[in-house]
Parts: sequence; structure tokens; C-alpha cells
Amino acid sequence: MRIGRLIERIAGLVPVLLGVSVIVFLMITLTPGDPVEIMLGDSRSSPEQEAALRRDMGLDRPMVERFFLFLGNAVRGEFGLSFFHRRPVIDVIGERLPATIELTLVALVLSLVIAIPLGVLAAVKKNTWFDRIGTVGSLLGVSMPGFWFGILLILLFSVKLGWLPVAGRIGFSAEVPFVTGMLLIDTLLAGRLDSFVEAARHILLPALTLALPMAAILMRVTRSSMLEVLRADYVLFAEAKGLSRARVIGRHALKNALIPTVTVAALETGSLLGGNMIVETVFGWPGLGRLVVEAIFSRNYPIVQAAVLLYAVTYVLLNFIADLLYTALNPRIKL
Amino acid sequence: MTAAAGPLLLVEGLTTEFATRGGLVRAVDDVSLRVEAGECLGVVGESGSGKSMTFLSVMGLVRPPGRVSARRLMFDGTDVLALDEAGKRALRGRDIAITMQDALTALNPAFTVATQITEVLIAHNRAASMGEARIKAEEMMRLVGIPAAASRLDDYPHQFSGGMRQRIMIATALACRPRLLIADEPTTALDVTIQAQVLDLIADLRRELGMSVVLITHDLGVVAEHADRVMVMYAGQVVEDGPTATIIDRPAHPYTRGLIDCMPNLETLDRPVHPIPGQVPSPLDLPPHCRFFDRCERAGPQCRVPVALLPLSPDHGVRCIRAEGAAHG
Ligand SMILES: Nc1ncnc2c1ncn2[C@@H]1O[C@H](COP(=O)(O)OP(=O)(O)O)[C@@H](O)[C@H]1O
Ligand code: SF4
Ligand SMILES: [Mg+2]
Repeated sequence: MRIGRLIERIAGLVPVLLGVSVIVFLMITLTPGDPVEIMLGDSRSSPEQEAALRRDMGLDRPMVERFFLFLGNAVRGEFGLSFFHRRPVIDVIGERLPATIELTLVALVLSLVIAIPLGVLAAVKKNTWFDRIGTVGSLLGVSMPGFWFGILLILLFSVKLGWLPVAGRIGFSAEVPFVTGMLLIDTLLAGRLDSFVEAARHILLPALTLALPMAAILMRVTRSSMLEVLRADYVLFAEAKGLSRARVIGRHALKNALIPTVTVAALETGSLLGGNMIVETVFGWPGLGRLVVEAIFSRNYPIVQAAVLLYAVTYVLLNFIADLLYTALNPRIKL
Repeated sequence: MTAAAGPLLLVEGLTTEFATRGGLVRAVDDVSLRVEAGECLGVVGESGSGKSMTFLSVMGLVRPPGRVSARRLMFDGTDVLALDEAGKRALRGRDIAITMQDALTALNPAFTVATQITEVLIAHNRAASMGEARIKAEEMMRLVGIPAAASRLDDYPHQFSGGMRQRIMIATALACRPRLLIADEPTTALDVTIQAQVLDLIADLRRELGMSVVLITHDLGVVAEHADRVMVMYAGQVVEDGPTATIIDRPAHPYTRGLIDCMPNLETLDRPVHPIPGQVPSPLDLPPHCRFFDRCERAGPQCRVPVALLPLSPDHGVRCIRAEGAAHG
């Protein structure tokens, strides 16, 4: 892809992101409930105090002006103070974000590692018992609520077998210096293998809970695109060249079959963010998802606003990445 | 491999069946054929008559639910039926190569042409290194007439025209200098001027590399120009085979006669072309008697029996009880 075209595509994201921020702004502004009243709570306050707070928060200005104020602040990462934490929203979110990114990435990798081999195998062994079990399994995976599955995993591996921790991120014993905030990386950087294993034990169940519904979707996508590709003439021609079966399936067929898989994976990563809220709550994972749930229940609007904007921007960017991947894997498409 | 006496390819009693919802489809029905070393065998017949399936069966490329059986399948003195999968794979691409009907879909869109040509060489140990394989790939691309071959090695198939893709497929098939090339309708997808170029290219390479060619086509004109012998197929069966001159000048089967009559050439240009009326019978509903019966001008009550392929002369076989020039006609 030419650089000019790439820049053009990135520029195309600006109106989308602008639209997203308008929606987020309106959502929060038009939500019933006066932020000033919420902030002051039940404490008895004079009308003067209320007016002062209103002025401080800029709530006495016209809406359009407030929007541009919000936008300018958002670009600089300023979302005001968290009502509850009494600290800048950006700091509170920044603290929780690495845990969520780590969980999402591990879940993404897990789902690909599970889905691609199973999808390929199901296609190659079409209509065998393996394929049928895979189809039923992926149907279950798609239709089962993620948190329910998470609870089952906790009951089995943590409560009954006692193999894995019930909740949380890592034992308190493991103090490692903060570098990325992602414990799997930080523990390795610190050369603390024991802590790494501990972190991995903690992340396994929540990541698996997030990964399995996604793996179910990706397996179905891989299976059906693989089935289509296996019928293609170029696969027959590859066989006619006397290539090994591994090369015919693992390279000629798979590279084409993965185009939809990777695209869907990038898009579905957005839904992992939504899944995070439930899974982080069930597993007591101290990430953004749980923060947002807490913020919603305590009407901590600045946090909710910033998080929703962050989710939306991430979703738009994931779409963009899906597009780029689709192009990169598919030389026929010239951007 | 030393050349044994006898034909390069010998096939006896080849049958390919598909179990479908509608019933058993016998796409290839008891086909026997041979290809001599250095010879070009033309295979003609309307679309769906089993030409491609015959040679995909020979190469062991029929996929489930297809089932292939044969009484004999010999390549250069080797009993192919006795080979294991690895042995058959070693023949494929190295000794027997095929170019597929549609070059647009036979090349993998996701890989460069260099990858697609070099991997054959490497699979069959014809190149010790990637560097050597690339040099040979470039040679092949030059051989088939790709301009600026060196600079186009790392291009993808979609960056080439239809005719050029056909050539790249031929280059891929010929990379290991096979003994037998099966060219399945090498020209159907191309326009007329490029058709002639590709056919001449195959003829040149055949002479240069000393290989045998099976030229599959529905165009008898192409066969008349390039083939030494011709095999005519109809509804999965061989209905006539013999030397090209005999088949073109004195066709014995009414179907072959029909194909020749709809051949537009210099003599017939002023006459209207006569396509054979009617349709190939459905493979699910074949008549128990002569399969050409419904479309045959010469059909009579005595044709309502199964008809065998019988020799009219030592090198001319025909499946028709009222064949032209037949003693029992
Ligand atoms: N997968 C399949 N299932 C059922 N029948 C098939 C299948 N593949 C091919 N056939 C049958 O094989 C016949 C011959 O096809 P083919 O060899 O491609 O003909 P040709 O190359 O002469 O045009 C077709 O008419 C079709 O009925
Ligand atoms: S056997 Fe009879 S029906 Fe069949 S081709 Fe010969 S003449 Fe025609
Ligand atoms: Mg064909």
C-alpha cells in the first residue's frame, strides 16, 4: 500500500472520531440527573456553592461551547476529576488500562490458537465425528453467556480442583517494578519467573472465559472459509505439483482461508472489550471493565464518559486495523 | 528412471464414480488409452464428457466422494496402482504435470509467481537452494515468453494478463521437465491470437523437452493441427480413437462426424456450421443402449443394445454398430 493512500485512509478516520465524540458528549449531557446535585450529594449546600460548582465545571456555558471545551480537553486527555477517587480521571483509567489490555491480548491469542487449528481440522475432516463435535461445541460457545462459562470454570478449576486462583491478578508477594503495567511482561523484564507463572495462573481463567465465545465464532469462520478454499482450483493445482499435503493445506489453502478469520478477529476484539466488563467483575480483575461497572453504579460520570469515548475510539481503530489486515493478506486488493 | 519398452502412459479400464444425492454418477466409464513417448494425444468431446475427470483420475487428484478404479495404470513401466501416496506424489509435478482449464483460478492469488514456480522445484529436489530455484524459475518464465521475466518474479498472479497467466501456469507445470504434460483446454479462456501463441508454445516445448502431451480440447481444429492421435469421448466413454488423419478424414462414429461438421475451417466457412442437435444425456439417466442414440442421425432399431468399443482396424477403434466403413455396418 502506498503511503499517500494510507494517510488518506487515516484522515478518513477524523470525521468518524468526531461523530463518536459528539455522541458521547450528548449521551452524557442529556442523561437525566444533574451532575452538580450528584457531586454535592446529600450534603446541605447553599445555592451559592451550587452555582460556584456549576461555573467551575463550565455547566453554565452554552452546549456548543461546552462540546468544544470537552473535545479540546479530550484530545489532551483531560476528563476532569473522578467524583469518587478525587483524582484526575485520566490517572484512574491509566492505572486500570494495562490490566485490561493484557487480558484482551491474552484472550485474543488464546482464541486464535484454539480456533484456527480446530477450524482447519474440522474443514479437512468434514462430516466426520470430529467435525460434528466441533460444530456442536462452537454452537454452544457462541450461544452460552460468557460469564456463566466463567463461573463454571471457577467452580471446576478453582473451587473443586483448587488448581487455579479464584480471582484477582497476582498474589501480593509478587512485587515487580512497573514498566508496561502488563504483569506477564513486567515479571519477565524483572527476571521473576516465579511471579510470571503466578501472573499466568491468574490470567488463565478470565482470558479463557473471554476467549472461548470468540474462538467459537472464529472456528466457524475458519471452517467455512477453509471449506470454500479447499474446493478452489489453485489447491488442486498445488496438489498436482506434487507438494506435500501439509504444504497444500497449511500454506496454499490456509493463507487464503485466514483472510476472513483475521478480519473477523480484529472486529471481534472490540466485543472483547464489552465482555471485559462482565468477566472482570466475575473474576475480580482490576481492569477498565470493572472500573466502568463501578462507575456506572456510583454515577461517576467523568469516568463513564472517558471510558465510553475510549471504547468507541478503540472500536473505530480496530475496524481500521481489520481493513489494513484484510489488505495486507490479500494482494489482489490494491488500496 | 530408465525408459522401459512400451507406452509412456498405459491406462486400462479406468472408471471414476461419484455417489451423489441423485444416484451414482459414472463420470469416466471403462476408459482405456495409451500415450507413446514424445507423442501428442488429442482428447475431444463436448463439455461434461469426462475429459478432465479422466486425467485427474490418472493423476490421482479426484476428491471424495469420487472413487477411481482401474485394471491397469502404468507410467513408464511403473505400476502406479501399486505405489503408495508418497510414490504417487513424487510422480505428480515431476514426471506427469497438468495445466488446468482455467489459469485465472489455478494460480494461488496469495503467493508470488516465484513462490509458485520454485516450490515445485524444491518439492522434487530439482534445486539445492532457494537461489538456484529462483534462477530456474526465471529461466522457465523466459522459456514460456514472459517479457522482463527477472523483474516480474515477485509479482502476484493478478498483475499478469490472462495469456501471461496461462504461460506462468505452463512454466510451473514444466519446471521439473516432466515426461508427460496434460494440457486441459489450454486455450478456451484466451482470445484467438493468444490461443495460437499458447498452442505453438506447447508444441515448441514438446519438441525441445522431448515430452509427451495430452491435449484436451473441444476444438477438433486444434487437434487436427497438433495431435498425432485422437481420442473422442462422449458421456464418459471413449467412442472413437485412432490416428489424427484417419479421424479427421474418415471419421467412423456419427458423433465424430458431427464434431467435424461443426468445425469452422477454410472449406466449410461458406457453409453454415452444423452443431449437433440435442444434449448430452444426464449422467444420472444414461440409456442402457448406445449413449448417442437420442442425437444420432443414423440411429436404428438395432442400436438399442449396449455398444462396445471395437477395432475397425488395428489402430482405429469405434463404439458404433453402424460405423462408417464397418464390416457389420
Ligand atoms: N464432484 C462431482 N460430483 C458428481 N459428478 C461429478 C463431480 N465432478 C465431476 N462430475 C461429473 O463428471 C462429468 C465429467 O466432467 P469433466 O471431466 O469435467 O468433463 P469435461 O472435462 O469433458 O468437460 C460431469 O459431467 C459431472 O457429471
Ligand atoms: S450405435 Fe447406432 S445410435 Fe449409436 S452411434 Fe452408432 S448408429 Fe448412432
Ligand atoms: Mg474439462
